[in-house]
Formats: sequence, C-alpha cells, structure tokens
Amino acid sequence: MKNRKSAVSILAAAVLAAACASTPVSTPTLDQARADFVSANNNPQVGTYAPMEFKQASEALDQANQAAQRRESLEDIDRLAYVAKQRIATAQEVAKAKAAEANIADASRQRDQVRLEARTAEAERAKRDAEAAQAQAQQAQAQAQATMQQNAALAERAAQLEALLNDIQAVKTERGYVVTIGDVLFATNQATLNPNGTSTLRKLADVMSQNPNRTVLVEGFTDSTGSASYNQDLSQRRAESVATALSQMGVARDRISMKAYGQAFPVASNDNAAGRQQNRRVEIVLSNEGAQIPPRAAMR
Amino acid sequence: MNKHQTMTGLRLSCAAAVLALTACASPDKAPATADVAVSRNAVENAVSAGAAELAPAEISAAREKMVRANQALAARDYKLARELAIQAQADAKLAQSKAVSAKATAASTQLNEDLRVLREEVDRANSQ
Repeated sequence: MKNRKSAVSILAAAVLAAACASTPVSTPTLDQARADFVSANNNPQVGTYAPMEFKQASEALDQANQAAQRRESLEDIDRLAYVAKQRIATAQEVAKAKAAEANIADASRQRDQVRLEARTAEAERAKRDAEAAQAQAQQAQAQAQATMQQNAALAERAAQLEALLNDIQAVKTERGYVVTIGDVLFATNQATLNPNGTSTLRKLADVMSQNPNRTVLVEGFTDSTGSASYNQDLSQRRAESVATALSQMGVARDRISMKAYGQAFPVASNDNAAGRQQNRRVEIVLSNEGAQIPPRAAMR
Repeated sequence: MNKHQTMTGLRLSCAAAVLALTACASPDKAPATADVAVSRNAVENAVSAGAAELAPAEISAAREKMVRANQALAARDYKLARELAIQAQADAKLAQSKAVSAKATAASTQLNEDLRVLREEVDRANSQ
C-alpha cells in the first residue's frame, strides 16, 4: 500500500518533469526581448555604432534565457527579460543617435563644400562679369575712337568739298550748292564750253566722284534778246553741253538731270549788256548728301 | 540511530538552513545602496539630457522604480532594492539614449533640409 503510493507519486513526478522539459519556459516579455534582439542583430547600424551597448544587451538576454532554462520563477525570468528588452532598445537608440550624428558630420561637410563651390562660382561669375564689362568698355572705347575717326574723316571730306566748291565759286542755297557756268565760259552764242568752262566742270566732276550720294541738276538760262524759242533752244543746248561734258568726265548719266528755262529766271536786268551777260548762264545745282534737289521756286 | 542523534541532526540542519536563508535573503547592504545610488545618477543624467520631455514613459518608469527601491532599502530588503535599482537603471539609460537620439535625429533632419535648400539656392544662382 505504502509502496504503491510512493510509486504513483514517483510516476507523477516523472510525468510532470517530462511535461516541463518538453515545453520550454518563457514569458511574453522574454519572447518580446528575443524578437527585439533578432531585429537589433539584423540592424547593421547597431553593430557599427553601438557594439558595447549591444554586448550588454546580449549578456542581459543570456541571463534571462538561462533563468528560463533553469526554470526559475516566471517573475524572475520576466524581470531579467525586462532588463534585457530595455538594454536592446537602448542599443537601438544609441545606434540611431550615432548614425544621425554621423549624418550631421557628413551633411555639415557637404554644406561647407556646397558653400565653397557657390562662393567659387560666384567669384568666377564676378570675374566673368568684370571681364565682360572690361571688354564692353574697350569695345565702347574702340567704337568711340572709330566714331571720332569717322567724324574726323567726314569733317575732312567736308572741308575738302568746301575747298573744292569754293574753288569753283559754288554758292550754298536751300536746294544745294549752286555752281554758275557763266557766259564767258562758252563760245559766244555757242553751246561749246571753252577751256575755262571745261576746267571748272572737271573740278565739279571730281567733287561728284568723291561724293557718290550727290546728284546734279543742270539748268540752262539766256537773256531776253531774240525769240523765246531760240532762247529756249540755246539754253537747252548749253545745259546739254554741260551735262555731256560731265558725263564724259566720268559722272554717271543717271546722276545728271537737266532743265532748260530760256529767258526765264533772269538774275540781273536785261536792259544793259552787263546784266544780259549775267543772265546768259548755266547753273549746276549740286544736291545735298543723299537728298533730292527741290524744284526751282516760282519766278523770281 | 537514537532519538538524541536524530535531534542533534535536526538542530544542525535547522541551523544550516537558517544560515543559508539569511545568506540568501539578506545580501550585503552596501552593494544595494551603491546600485541605488548609481541608478539615481542615471536618472539625473537622463533628465539633464532632456528625457523628461523626450522619453516621458521611460523616465517615469525609472522614477517609480527608484521610489520602490528606496522603500526596499528602508525595509532592508536588499535583494529587491538591487533588482529594482537595476531595472530603474535600464529604464533611465533607455530614456537618456532616446532623448539623445531624438535630438540628433531632429538636428540631422534639419541639417539635411538646410542642405537641400542651400543646393536649391545655389542651383538657382548658377542658372541665372
């Protein structure tokens, strides 16, 4: 009886022990700590930045695991597991902080780099701007000089023209310079130019060749002696003779216009010989630069 | 085995048991006191790192355990005082590391943003 009782209790104990051995002891906190440990172990930052804290966490977890293996009270296992869990979390936080600090250092370095590059770029821009401004100034100076030279050349040409026109006694009027080929430059009652007339025209032809943007209008006049038709014809022939002479001296025909006025537009009285001689004339109007010659105003 | 021998054996084993119990139940007072002091220090460090604002749950857990550890010291339960001190230390260290990482992360995020803005500005300046 007594023996049997003890046998039963021994058997029960064995069964109980076997049951206990087959189901390992754990607590929710220990399970959590183990899961946290796995994710910390898989986080490369933890290995890099918090090796010491992770080692302490591993040791704490080992203690909790050993307590579980030794089947200590659930309360003790839980307590050790709690410490392990907090230390694992600490290792994760330390790693996070160190990684952030590393990023701060890297970002600061990059910021300095960007600032340096920006300053360099700015300096280069400023240099480029300065060079451009200098080039512009030089260009402006060159242009001013060119303009000055051009103006000087123009002035010189104007002076030359003035001198030439003075030489052939041209008179400045609203229509342009007027060169008068007087009666004395023609053979008497003829349209033929004498050498003096030709020489005057040659000087005018020179002016024409130096001033390609100017044209001439050749106007013929007579005194009132004789019939109007005869005078018209004579003034026509004399104007033509002048135009032909100019074109023979190299002035293009299309730069020469012609007009015969006969006894119209006398410049002096026809009552005396001197006046009549003044009225027998050919007037050559030299146009202004690039301008049309305005028509002769009404009878004077 | 006579009755006297049995009694003697019983006395001996009782004495041994009592000794063993006192050895286990009351470890030295000094290490427990030291542990509590270290934990108090850890809590203070965590607070000065800004844990009160940045890890309030952990810091209040640590403080609550410190109160209980001090109570255990007063009650001469040195084993409990040590256990609580160790847990309070783990809580305090986690609170401190959370505070530090929160600050570092914020600073890092801010700096990354500054860098992004700076790059944009520089790109704008360069494209003009």
